[in-house]
Amino acid sequence: MSDISFHIGKEDELTEKNYDVVVLGAGPAGLTAAIYTGRAKLKTLVVEKEAIGGEAASTDWIDNYPGFPEGVGGVDLAEKMEKQAKRFGATVLYGDIRDLDLKSQPKTMIVNGEKVTAKAVVLATGTHPKELGVPGEKELKGRGVSYCATCDAPFFKDKEIAVIGGGNSGLQESLFLLKYVKSIKIVEFLPYLTAEPILQDRILEYKNVEAFPHHRLVSINGKDKVESITVENRSTNEKFDMKVEGVFVYVGLEPNTDFLKDQVKLNDWGYIEVTPNMETNIAGVFAAGDVRDTLVRQVATAVGDGAHAAVIANKFIEDLEE
Amino acid sequence: MGLLKDEDKKAIQGIFEQLKDPVSIVHFTQELNCDYCSETKQLLLEVADLSDKINVEMYNVQTDKEKVTEYEIDRVPALVPATVIRNEKDFGIRYYGIPAGYEFASVLEDIVDVSNHHIDLEASVLQKVQSINKPVDIWVFVTTSCPYCPRAVRTAHKFAMANDNIRGVMIEANEYPQLSMQFSVQAVPKVVINKSNSFEGAFPEPQFVDEILKAL
Repeated sequence: MSDISFHIGKEDELTEKNYDVVVLGAGPAGLTAAIYTGRAKLKTLVVEKEAIGGEAASTDWIDNYPGFPEGVGGVDLAEKMEKQAKRFGATVLYGDIRDLDLKSQPKTMIVNGEKVTAKAVVLATGTHPKELGVPGEKELKGRGVSYCATCDAPFFKDKEIAVIGGGNSGLQESLFLLKYVKSIKIVEFLPYLTAEPILQDRILEYKNVEAFPHHRLVSINGKDKVESITVENRSTNEKFDMKVEGVFVYVGLEPNTDFLKDQVKLNDWGYIEVTPNMETNIAGVFAAGDVRDTLVRQVATAVGDGAHAAVIANKFIEDLEE
Repeated sequence: MGLLKDEDKKAIQGIFEQLKDPVSIVHFTQELNCDYCSETKQLLLEVADLSDKINVEMYNVQTDKEKVTEYEIDRVPALVPATVIRNEKDFGIRYYGIPAGYEFASVLEDIVDVSNHHIDLEASVLQKVQSINKPVDIWVFVTTSCPYCPRAVRTAHKFAMANDNIRGVMIEANEYPQLSMQFSVQAVPKVVINKSNSFEGAFPEPQFVDEILKAL
């Protein structure tokens, strides 16, 4: 611990049971939706399963969110958004959801053991990067282990790094990383890189890129930050270390929609299908941010989705009351 | 120089408006060979200063042996700095290491709950927790910068409040590398039950209690 800081927060508790809007997920999409519904004087509950700020909060620094010329800490940004949502009356709660029924009107669910109703629901549960589950991966997340090159590449200027995953994401992001880093070692489990040939040709032209197909990542090593990784050559079973200061993991994204399978329509990859107005196939149910079917997943786009969904949800509720 | 900034103190005083009955922070420290003993001591004194309902009892592990025994501080090989939060009763709420970063919020929430004699658990979870009739040591390994960790710590502490058989212990992993290595802590939060069964991640309360019941 280089400097000691103190986080001061007090969890809200569930005091009311009937809401105008329940938002699932307190990441940028969810909190923005709550700011908008709160200001529209709709009684709003935000339920978060893990950490306020979602994926954005697990990033140390955000340089591309508009309004912060020097950048902003992921956690700091999340706390500001939460504070803003609470200012307009949103209750922000840690909890889990069970028995979710989105098809009824009002929608119903059990939140921390209590039955809660909502006239409209905004699904903003986001995604999570697929993890490999190797030792050191969680511990060093944000301290050398990263899942987002566009977000973090500038922090690895002139450093030696590893990219885990030789598919399109890994190689595409490597092209971006090359603008910053000293060298890249690409570690791929299968006996061959799975990225499109055109990407492979492009990346392997660079003298400072080396590919290691048919290698398994055994562990990510380091005390307070990444110092090396241990890999195993799957052909020879030989284990050896690579001295790297960064590890970018690109083994896929998973939408947090397992609990929604029999409710809203999901696309083939599990993301929620929406209209241009963030509406799902169920009336009064909206989706915003990473969890919805989209090609771009950034804080800036999640915030836009959240605002959009909230305004349309407000209209839906007004129409209900006519 | 104070550890807490003025704006922090104001925010904490706002939270402490919810305090009802007196709360004691019982703290165990030592002079040498302890990285964060002096900061932890200072932090707790600054916190106690912000409400007249909070008092601090300070003990030295080397010289106040009866108190070490009374609170079974050596039950966890970490030893110092160790903090107990209690009212007229010791529920088994323990912190080993400096509760800085995110864990500071856990301390504040524990103080509020203990002061209000309030166990913040849903009925079905409370029932399961109260059904436990064997001793349970729930150790939660954390780091201060881990945003998911306070959930696990708070759950362990709430369980400790609900059942005299249960001790809920936060262990700040970076300060006790040998203990962390002994329990293969490489990601946090890591929960270890009775020094054997373990799981990683901040499980929701219903799953957490099920893991404990599985371990017994």
